[in-house]
Amino acid sequence: MSYMKMTAISGLIALVAGMAGAQTLTIGVRGGPESLDPHYSALGTHAEAAKHIFDTLVWADENLQIAPGLATEWKPVDDDTWEFKLREGVKFHDGSDFTAEDVKFSIARPPIVTGPTTTAIYVRRVKEVEIIDPHTIHIHTDGPAPSLPYDFVRLFVVSHTAAADYSTPETAPEGFNSGKAAIGTGPYKLVSWEPKGDLVLERFDDYWGGPSAWEKVIRKEMPNDSSRLAALKAGQVDLVNDVSSADYLQLKNDASVDTFLGDGIYIMNLLLDQRPDVMPGVRAKDGSALPTNPLTDIRVRQAFDKAIDRETMVEIVLEGLGKPADQGMPPGFFGYSDKVEKPVYDPEGAKALLAEAGFPDGFEIDLYCTSDRLPGDAAICQGLGQMLSVIGMKVNVNATSRTVYFPAQSRGEYSVSMNGWGTLTGEATYTLGGQMHTPDKEKGLGGFNRISYSNAELDKLIETGMVELDEAKRRAILENAMEVAAADKVLIPIVQLQSVWAAKAGTLDFTPRTDGDTLAYPIHPKK
Amino acid sequence: MLAFIVQRALQAILVMAVMSVIVFVGVYAVGNPVDIVIPPDATIAMREEVIRRLGLDLPLWKQYGIFAWNLLHGDFGRSFVYNMPVLELIGGRLPATLELVLISILFATVVGVSLGIYAGVKPDSLLSKLIMGLSILGFSVPSFWVGLILILTFAVSLGILPAGGRGETVTVFGVPWSFLTLNGLSHIVLPALNLALFKLAMMIRLARAGTREAMLSDTVKFARAAGLSEATILRRHVLKLISIPIITVFGLELGSTLAFAVVTETIFSWPGVGKLIIDSITVLDRPVMVAYLVLTAFLFVMINFTVDLVFAAIDPRIRSGRQSA
Repeated sequence: MSYMKMTAISGLIALVAGMAGAQTLTIGVRGGPESLDPHYSALGTHAEAAKHIFDTLVWADENLQIAPGLATEWKPVDDDTWEFKLREGVKFHDGSDFTAEDVKFSIARPPIVTGPTTTAIYVRRVKEVEIIDPHTIHIHTDGPAPSLPYDFVRLFVVSHTAAADYSTPETAPEGFNSGKAAIGTGPYKLVSWEPKGDLVLERFDDYWGGPSAWEKVIRKEMPNDSSRLAALKAGQVDLVNDVSSADYLQLKNDASVDTFLGDGIYIMNLLLDQRPDVMPGVRAKDGSALPTNPLTDIRVRQAFDKAIDRETMVEIVLEGLGKPADQGMPPGFFGYSDKVEKPVYDPEGAKALLAEAGFPDGFEIDLYCTSDRLPGDAAICQGLGQMLSVIGMKVNVNATSRTVYFPAQSRGEYSVSMNGWGTLTGEATYTLGGQMHTPDKEKGLGGFNRISYSNAELDKLIETGMVELDEAKRRAILENAMEVAAADKVLIPIVQLQSVWAAKAGTLDFTPRTDGDTLAYPIHPKK
Repeated sequence: MLAFIVQRALQAILVMAVMSVIVFVGVYAVGNPVDIVIPPDATIAMREEVIRRLGLDLPLWKQYGIFAWNLLHGDFGRSFVYNMPVLELIGGRLPATLELVLISILFATVVGVSLGIYAGVKPDSLLSKLIMGLSILGFSVPSFWVGLILILTFAVSLGILPAGGRGETVTVFGVPWSFLTLNGLSHIVLPALNLALFKLAMMIRLARAGTREAMLSDTVKFARAAGLSEATILRRHVLKLISIPIITVFGLELGSTLAFAVVTETIFSWPGVGKLIIDSITVLDRPVMVAYLVLTAFLFVMINFTVDLVFAAIDPRIRSGRQSA
């Protein structure tokens, strides 16, 4: 083949690729959905994929602040009723109109078709849905439910006609995965999907928010971090998510790649078990048993808090991909308090506190954490182990797979553990009610309180915060609850994780979302 | 012969039954899958509802009984994670793994045996030494690393092959195959090469050792005396003499590669069963694990069975031995 011919052909290929590139967005993502039924799973990656095809009743913007979605406005009409006004002129992919019937259907559906990662949580407060007119609904709740709009951030609306025959656990996966029932109002129509494979979407021209910049969107599941990045460099994908901290360091000096750094919702917390007499993995340094659980002593917990050098954790362990954390939720979320005291690194003070508590030479602990759940979890855990040794503790670090960690943690086998918590709803009752409230089956609270923590004052604040409909009052109550929770140091926040996206230099306009979702619709080609 | 087949079939069923019990008990010992997947703010009532729905509230023997009963009716159950029939889930991904493994094993065998025979016939030539040296490399370098280097070289630096994923497919007999399209072939080259390297090295070593031994045998001496050309001797006699260990290894490797191509599949984002099974293990998706391992056990038994039949066809000594038994 002559040189001329070769150049001509490669030129042609470049041209074709360029044309296709302007219209097609290919994203390499770490994880994808478990099904195309949006009501099947509450997993973040599941909802992320569903947001391309379906809309939620209430939208969460890139900072997780609530904004109009399929509902344009909402207000409480009495103590246990919310009124939602629905957007008019919205079309489903099959051309039918979006009405209150679809919302009613979509609220009734999750408890029936949900999988183990249950989506029933988003509608648990709903007692009854009353259709006032085709674009107004009243939602009656089981008592005051001020957080209902936050719950509905994950309430996907499906078509009540298209999904009618596919709403039992047996029929739902077939109907949705084949595309027959996967009819939403979202910016893209489904073309095809394979579990753990590619999700192929095409633009929905009648989308109420205006048509997407991309004619076609392909989301490729690429679980391996290095391969995903290689695919970007090879030009196979236009954007990748979850760049690892080691790769990020290199990419910062690479002119061919743009990186986007965004705050995440995950906070890494050190959890200290509060059972007075049971203390698996806590013992004196000579191996003998201790009379009572030293972790119930506030001075010991304060010592641990002072022993943690959060700046070093961020700079050295996470290569700069994080921020020091002082409470269980990122700044700006509903209920985050500015008044929480900033933690100070003070190893000498920590030693003094330990001595005061009767442990001048420290004691021995087994520290457990996950190694495969969140970026950097095992590294933070090891760093934590070293920092605690500095104040005289003997620490055995055990970074294990989440497959082992979560079941064992729920059986109460860990006294000292470290884990990430993401405030998915952007609001404090989620975080406090889940992991800090006294476990209470009746009230449905404290389901993830794995450390047997019980503080009557905090319980009361959480419960009043959960029913206070006045937003300003509610915010004040929850901020107060955050302060009370932080002061007790049973859950010691360490760092807030950040995530990194990467794209070929100068190609895409992309704004990171706090929840880490990589959504195609807000992305535009750079002009 | 019939007794042999029946014996093998019984053996297969026994292996599969033991396999399923081990997986059931193993997963039960690790813990409850619900603890891994349930969302943090789910109430305790919701958690119990999920457990009940998945049938995890029943005693272990009862769970196993239900599984075994359904299996007798050809139903492997539904995945905890995907809520899809397990067979459909595995079946949808099997062709991808199958074509990757077959291409890489065939490549390893054809190229490996040719190079091995050459190295066996001319042990002192420079090329032979080079082949043997490279085969050591093939053994000792981890395939994970080789895969990344292949991607960096051919996809990132040279940009001539894709970095991962499966290319365009053509549907034949209702199954999508990618090796029939040019685009599909370009996607399969790197992962197949990556998967083949270790086996290639092994085949070279096996063929060389066998050839060196066969060249000294009476068969070869007499063939030479009869005036046959070296090429004919190699093709007709040496190849036959060295084929028994090669076929054995071919069969074993075929099975193990099919079942455990996971590293290559992960690096190259290849949508095969390996990735599926690893993900199922991390979330304790028991139905998928059980079905997959039971099928794998079945596969191994079948491959061994086929290998035995092939032996009988190739080597008359084995055939007559069996008849007299």
